[in-house]
Amino acid sequence: MGGLLSYFRGLFGSREMRILILGLDGAGKTTILYRLQVGEVVTTIPTIGFNVEQVQYKNLKFQVWDLGGQTSIRPYWRCYYSNTDAIIYVVDSADKERIGISKDELFHMLREEELQDAILVVLANKQDMAGCMTVAEVHQALGLEALKNRTFQIFKTSATKGEGLDQAMDWLANALQNRK
Amino acid sequence: MVQKDEFCVLILGLDNAGKTTYLESAKAKFKKNYKSMHPSKITTTVGLNIGKIDVGGIRLNFWDLGGQTELQSLWDKYYAESHAIIYIVDSSDRERIPDSKETFDKMIANENLQGIPLLVLANKQDIPDCMGVRDVKPIFNKNAHLIGKRDCMVMPISALTGDGINEGICWLVDCIKRHVYIRPPRNNDES
Repeated sequence: MGGLLSYFRGLFGSREMRILILGLDGAGKTTILYRLQVGEVVTTIPTIGFNVEQVQYKNLKFQVWDLGGQTSIRPYWRCYYSNTDAIIYVVDSADKERIGISKDELFHMLREEELQDAILVVLANKQDMAGCMTVAEVHQALGLEALKNRTFQIFKTSATKGEGLDQAMDWLANALQNRK
Repeated sequence: MVQKDEFCVLILGLDNAGKTTYLESAKAKFKKNYKSMHPSKITTTVGLNIGKIDVGGIRLNFWDLGGQTELQSLWDKYYAESHAIIYIVDSSDRERIPDSKETFDKMIANENLQGIPLLVLANKQDIPDCMGVRDVKPIFNKNAHLIGKRDCMVMPISALTGDGINEGICWLVDCIKRHVYIRPPRNNDES
């Protein structure tokens, strides 16, 4: 019965995809979530715990989880990993000091069994800041060339200006549909 | 269970040469029931697309990288682990052929690619008035001293229609098998 139900869901393309937004504190995760949901910049405070929203993009429905990024709460990310279809990993491109920590957290996360099939999108956020790293620099600093068994894509974004998010979501929507 | 030997094939070329379209097309040809992405939905790659196909008793593991100038600095990170290179050329873009050739020369000069087979694909043969393989071949074979003794083949294809995909892959599989003593299959260590 459950199989039948999910078959029909697949037929109408209405299965809700589960997406996690992860990254260090201050990377812009919450701003991105609400940009995606309401298309506006909201005033955010550091997230303790999570924000979860339903986001409709074209014909796809996403359930998007934005998890707090502070050091003390990063260990709890893993509680949310099961059944995740995609990960949006947000990097503050202007924060050269902590990009190494961001890299460690990313690889720590990708080692998890539960995320082996999840699609990865890296957002090199805060591209509006002067002197920020380019996409190639973020790629290099995160050591993404080590990811040889996973499709991924990086986008330069400015969540506050709303730039780059559409391309990222377009790609993600295609990648998710293509995967089925 | 017997596991197939796995070999890595790097797909390179300038941006908009058709690398991702080629990958999708190859997957559609060699994977049963694979629904490929509609070509109109393929966007500029900044990152990595992967694909695995089983052919001729081995498994090919494709890495399709972004081709924009600023991303070319990332290519060499993959050279040491690659068993073959597919270099894709947009045959309809005469203006950028010199640029494509220069990028190709720089790539093959890398010592990590010594002896690795090179398949150059003159893509977009479906576009009227594009350069034929007879025009493209001499350009890419010009620097014979850089190519050296390695296998190098220039073939016409259309990633869009799928013409020429099979021939290229069959050639590549033969080369990879012949080179197995120089560069053995990769170990299945997950990264």
